[in-house]
Amino acid sequence: MTQPLLQIRNLSVALPKGADRPFAVHDVSLEVRPAEILCVVGESGSGKSVLTAALMGAAPKGLRVAAGGALMGGRDLLTLSERQWRDIRGKDIGMIFQEPMASLNPALTVARQIEEVFELHSDYSRAERAARARKLVEEMHLPEPDRILKSFPHQLSGGQCQRVVIAMALAMNPKLLIADEPTTALDVTTQAQVLKLIRELRDNHGHGIIFITHDLGVVADIADRIAVMRRGEVVEVGSAKQVLTSPQHDYTRALIAAVPSLVPHDRPSAGTEAPALEVTGLNHCYGVKQVLHDIALSVAPGRVLSIVGESGSGKSTIAKNLIRLTDPTSGTISVAGQAMLDLKGGALRRMRRRIQMIFQDPFGSLNPRRKVGPMIARAAMLSGASRTEAVTRTKELLELVGLQSSAYDRRPAAFSGGQRQRIGIARALAMRPDVLIADESVSALDVSVQAQVLDLLADLQKRLSLAVVFITHDLRVAAQISDEIVVMSQGHVVERGPASQVLTRPQHPYTRDLIEAAPGRGAF
Amino acid sequence: MKTLFPYLTKPLVLVGGVLALGWLLVAILAPLIAPYDPLQTLQPLTKPMTVGAKGEFFLFGTDMLGRDIFSRLVWGARTVVIYSTLATLTAYAFGLILGLVAGYAGGRTDAVLSFLANVVLSFPVLVLYIVIIVVIGASPVNIVIAVTFSSAPAIFRIVRGITIDIASRDFVKAAITQGESTWRILLVDILPNTTGPLSVDFCLRLGYTAITIGTLGFLGLGLPPPTPDWGGMVNEGRSMAIAFPHLVIFPCIAISSLTLGLSLLADGLREVNDAKERQA
Amino acid sequence: MFLGIFLMRKVAIAVATMLVVSFLIFLALEVNVEDVAVKVLGQYSTVEQRAAWLAQNGYNDAFALRYVRWLGNFVTGDWGMSTFFRAPVAEMVMPRLAASGLLAGGALLVIVVFGLGLGVLAGMRPGSLLDRVISVFSVVTTSIPDFASAVFLSGIFVFWLGLLPGASAMISGFSLAELVLPVSVLGLYSMGYLARVTRASMADVMGTHYIRTARLKGAGMGRIVLRHALRNALITPITVIMLQLPWLLSGVIVIEVFYAYKGFGTLLYDAALNQDIYLIEACAMVSVLVVVLSQILSDLIYGWLNPRIALGAEA
Repeated sequence: MTQPLLQIRNLSVALPKGADRPFAVHDVSLEVRPAEILCVVGESGSGKSVLTAALMGAAPKGLRVAAGGALMGGRDLLTLSERQWRDIRGKDIGMIFQEPMASLNPALTVARQIEEVFELHSDYSRAERAARARKLVEEMHLPEPDRILKSFPHQLSGGQCQRVVIAMALAMNPKLLIADEPTTALDVTTQAQVLKLIRELRDNHGHGIIFITHDLGVVADIADRIAVMRRGEVVEVGSAKQVLTSPQHDYTRALIAAVPSLVPHDRPSAGTEAPALEVTGLNHCYGVKQVLHDIALSVAPGRVLSIVGESGSGKSTIAKNLIRLTDPTSGTISVAGQAMLDLKGGALRRMRRRIQMIFQDPFGSLNPRRKVGPMIARAAMLSGASRTEAVTRTKELLELVGLQSSAYDRRPAAFSGGQRQRIGIARALAMRPDVLIADESVSALDVSVQAQVLDLLADLQKRLSLAVVFITHDLRVAAQISDEIVVMSQGHVVERGPASQVLTRPQHPYTRDLIEAAPGRGAF
Repeated sequence: MKTLFPYLTKPLVLVGGVLALGWLLVAILAPLIAPYDPLQTLQPLTKPMTVGAKGEFFLFGTDMLGRDIFSRLVWGARTVVIYSTLATLTAYAFGLILGLVAGYAGGRTDAVLSFLANVVLSFPVLVLYIVIIVVIGASPVNIVIAVTFSSAPAIFRIVRGITIDIASRDFVKAAITQGESTWRILLVDILPNTTGPLSVDFCLRLGYTAITIGTLGFLGLGLPPPTPDWGGMVNEGRSMAIAFPHLVIFPCIAISSLTLGLSLLADGLREVNDAKERQA
Repeated sequence: MFLGIFLMRKVAIAVATMLVVSFLIFLALEVNVEDVAVKVLGQYSTVEQRAAWLAQNGYNDAFALRYVRWLGNFVTGDWGMSTFFRAPVAEMVMPRLAASGLLAGGALLVIVVFGLGLGVLAGMRPGSLLDRVISVFSVVTTSIPDFASAVFLSGIFVFWLGLLPGASAMISGFSLAELVLPVSVLGLYSMGYLARVTRASMADVMGTHYIRTARLKGAGMGRIVLRHALRNALITPITVIMLQLPWLLSGVIVIEVFYAYKGFGTLLYDAALNQDIYLIEACAMVSVLVVVLSQILSDLIYGWLNPRIALGAEA
């Protein structure tokens, strides 16, 4: 067995006084060997990012390493001075981050940023630095290396930026790579390519890689070994196969169970009911750029239609058109047989209650200054309820979405992300809508919370016989909740059909690519 | 008390609060604090800390017309507090309403209002005052009008920016999709969320306005004499400042301490707001 | 190419601004012709004298016509006669503007060097002792009105230490010593704001992901600040410097009056005290023009510093 590259021993990082727990990271012991990818997986607040920051000697302000060590090449990293660190960073340890665009200096060209690593850690000549930078860019499979090198970061796509960041991290061929959620900000197809690249690095260069992620699908695709973290502690560690197929710890089992399956449930096929929402010939232009092309949709009461697509596919523009935040260039939208787009003023305001939306960001969608109860009650009153009816309805709804009645008098700040999303659902339902739009409504949530909110939505939708348009980038989520799926790419609907058909027998090459790219396809 | 607590832990905020509130108290209690009538001629050009012929005590001395400087400073506090507050409030009334409307409505309304605001803002403030005062004359009401006219566009710009930011948040979209009326969205969803940054700006602007009124007084374009006015006192005493520095030093200290107090207070408010925002 | 369109739009807005400003100035000062006659001929002129003067100078024409004629004259350099100084306005304004330019230029130098310098130092390590000291210093200097700091500084350097002259009238020719106090007071007053903007911008940049990237590449503090942070952090403050000109111009008026410096500010001040309306009009127009030009310059600098604009990524 090869010698470990890095040995973390009983590492603890203390949180400042007054935090919800004494340690951000508590008594963590882990090892990374050469040519191995160690995935550290956990939900938000698990301490996984603090762990990596501490390993780079860059713990956030207010946090300090309280105990333990991290041995690499006979040295304890945690005892190094800032001066000593500077020799190690970039040379022995490379780092890749979550936000590729933001990780690059907007005022410097790609070439200068890559070459800087050589300036810092080598005595290569100028020409040699340039040649090596070019070679790195080629190795990252970036198209037109010369153009990329001359570009500023904002001229590149997110995926290209991430490859540049990886190139910088690899410039000095460090033994250890630390990647903190490196693909989270990327589209699935780009993510799949970057993951492939990282696997290549392990196989061809023998890097030891610590890969931090919240996404078990990604873990299944890339991990050799897995460490599961929860509230600052490693609850389980083992080989990928062992952890994924026979998890020992309850938390690991719960995490794995919460990952939505790509296999859709059996659903009854569409009835002959009149659609609650019908969209025909929807076109939308921003200036000269057309972002929606001839979109047609129809959802019957009690059915869920998912719109699936990557960023820039136009799916969010459809949502904005449906709730009339922006008007489409042409097309029709009708709710329960009533044409929406001709309505104006008071008539429009009265119709609005019939089509309600649950937003993506649980923190931005509730007015921080208003108490939850009156906020929901106001929605009920706008739909025509009297004051006393509205209060009763609000209390029923709070119970329905699984919140305590004490929530009535609290402000949004008192609630977690998942709870806020429940409040958002209650507010939308208070208007007794016919159609509910959910725009990436569970994507900001941790996987266990996500599963709960999805269950809640599915349950309510059936009980209240709502027509739901569910917009998501996540095929797994779509598979769990949809009756029908519409796949969008660059403003066009490329495929549509019952969920089981689209996911198991995709017709369009783009759909196939998407399914192919879904992380952890073999495992879950 | 709980909401006040974070403000009080910062020593500079405490200093700012003491200075600003101190002057406010002086302004309110002026008749009780001032030993003499600020307009009454007592004994010309006595130095500070001297006893007058009739046994009066001149803490800060007297000016060339024999008026007690301490009394004039105390009453001057009332002048500056009243007119700064009044002028800032009227400027806010205009700036706030127009800023909310422009920021929320967007489009042509916003373009026109923003252009007009920029036109006014392209005057150096003092040039604008001078033109206004030359046209309408220097009376208390006209000073308030001049300050309103020149400050409202700056407030407009700030309010507009904040409004655009808040209007883009999902909770405003939610209110729209609920069929909430526009004025209620402005009042319930947007306005309450502007109070944090606006309270900081209000404090700062109160200070600017005090500076402006003082500067106008210093230039002899401010409140007409014999109103006790700090800037005016500096202006009147300037020609004799070499021999009698107390004529100008005390009013300068007075106005500086007031404006410094307001700035420090604004700073403290800003820090607390930032901390709140980071928490949320 | 993109920069060209960007610039052309800015110039168009500037021209529109100047038109509206000129109209407002003319409206304010010349809509009431009786007033104009009183101001030009004096309080003691007779009704007949005024009527004759008004008729003779075309004041009986429609307002719009008078405005267009006035604007035409202004653009062609005919700014009328000063009623107080009895001299052509255009000839008086230019030398005074140059004198004020010297004062403002000196102040700008102080502002740029100390404002940017202190701001960068403070923002490099937000929350440090140095940061707090600089922040307090900049709050104090901006909070004290400029006439008050002129009193304080003159008190110290003129009357107490006797190091500098207390007036800057330059009666016996140009004197650098006479410039020191006015430049310092102006600089001190305006520098704090720039320092704060710079600090905020620098602190923001120091907290970005790309600074973390640079640090984790193994770059030292000096390199991080000089190579990675400065260029990004200075975009906003350098743009702000130009936008501070209106403020600086206001300060110039106060300081020139205080130190009896014969510049543009005292000219406008004298004009105001003497109801010299043609001189006021010209001074107001010129000061707004200076501001508007500085805004275009500021946009240009911004475009030049920011690769996103120069390369046409966004408007």
